[in-house]
Amino acid sequence: MSEENPLDLEAIRSEWLGVEFDERTFEPEASRMIAWAEACGETDPRFLDENHPDFQAPPNMTTIFNSGRFLPEGFPNIGSGFGIDGGKTVECLAPIRAGDVLTGTATIADVFDKTGRSGTMVFIVQRMTFSNQSGEPVSVVDWKTIRGI
Amino acid sequence: MILDLHTHSIKSDDGRAKVENYCKWIRKKELPLDGFVLTEHRQFDATSDYRHLEDEYGLVILKASEVETDYGHVLVFGVNDDLVNSFDFAKVDNPLPMVLEAADRCGAFAAPCHPGRKNVGLFAHYENKGAVDGVHTVEVLNGGSIPGEDELSVEQAGQRGYAGFGGSDSHIVSRIGYCATDFDADIADIDDLVGALRTGNFRAVTYREQES
Repeated sequence: MSEENPLDLEAIRSEWLGVEFDERTFEPEASRMIAWAEACGETDPRFLDENHPDFQAPPNMTTIFNSGRFLPEGFPNIGSGFGIDGGKTVECLAPIRAGDVLTGTATIADVFDKTGRSGTMVFIVQRMTFSNQSGEPVSVVDWKTIRGI
Repeated sequence: MILDLHTHSIKSDDGRAKVENYCKWIRKKELPLDGFVLTEHRQFDATSDYRHLEDEYGLVILKASEVETDYGHVLVFGVNDDLVNSFDFAKVDNPLPMVLEAADRCGAFAAPCHPGRKNVGLFAHYENKGAVDGVHTVEVLNGGSIPGEDELSVEQAGQRGYAGFGGSDSHIVSRIGYCATDFDADIADIDDLVGALRTGNFRAVTYREQES
């Protein structure tokens, strides 16, 4: 890193990547699944009609299931404040049905820096991996937070 | 022959465009592009093969890199194994002279992009640290520039005798072709592109609609 940026990201990555730091359960109800689908502008009856034979949660439903903790205890301070939301990406692995009990496990998936007009920014990627009550992986959400340094 | 020399696909962390969707957009909108170069951030995508898209859409699709240096961002065309092993593409503070030297040594072509941009543009760093030997070509038209940035790039490049090319810096499909480069030579592969850039026989062009 440059003199202006003494953060040792390699050391942070080495220590924290892949470390599981939180786990929570979520129980998506049909009404909430439909409300979310409507809010997203879905038109497919699979997401809107709970009597549809393939009724399931919209693919991005898991983006609203957050761990209560964004970073592990003891994670180094990078920049100041909470940073800004850098967006989420979702990988859908299997349908989520009403009444499923999802277990979400939080890890740090990546920490990297980049430069832009506003200077050097560090991206922290929190990954939530969701499995259903059968232990089947159903969704992976990567949530980026951007912090200026 | 007109190529957009600066585009990003979903291979870049902030890219939202699929390569095939770029192709569809170019044809749907009848853009005057003969092809484009994918310049993914801080990496070289050695594995993706877009030849089937070249055939299907009649476009030249080439791969390069956008790396970050202590003098701002730099496009590197003609990336090969030797160059990939010469420095860490993922770092954000590679010394510019080292990147230029490595590119020359490995048969590639390195040129700073959006040089008129604050913090990540060459000329902002020139003001603070002085000029760097070995720079000969810069991106003078960038589709992501805000007012004043390209004007500074054109002015400074002209004063310093740098050749200038153009690229859209597109991260979404609708931005491709905002800026591009018109070459005298025909270009079919990355070696042709590196050769054409070395000749200096090209012009930056823009197709960005004038904002009212």
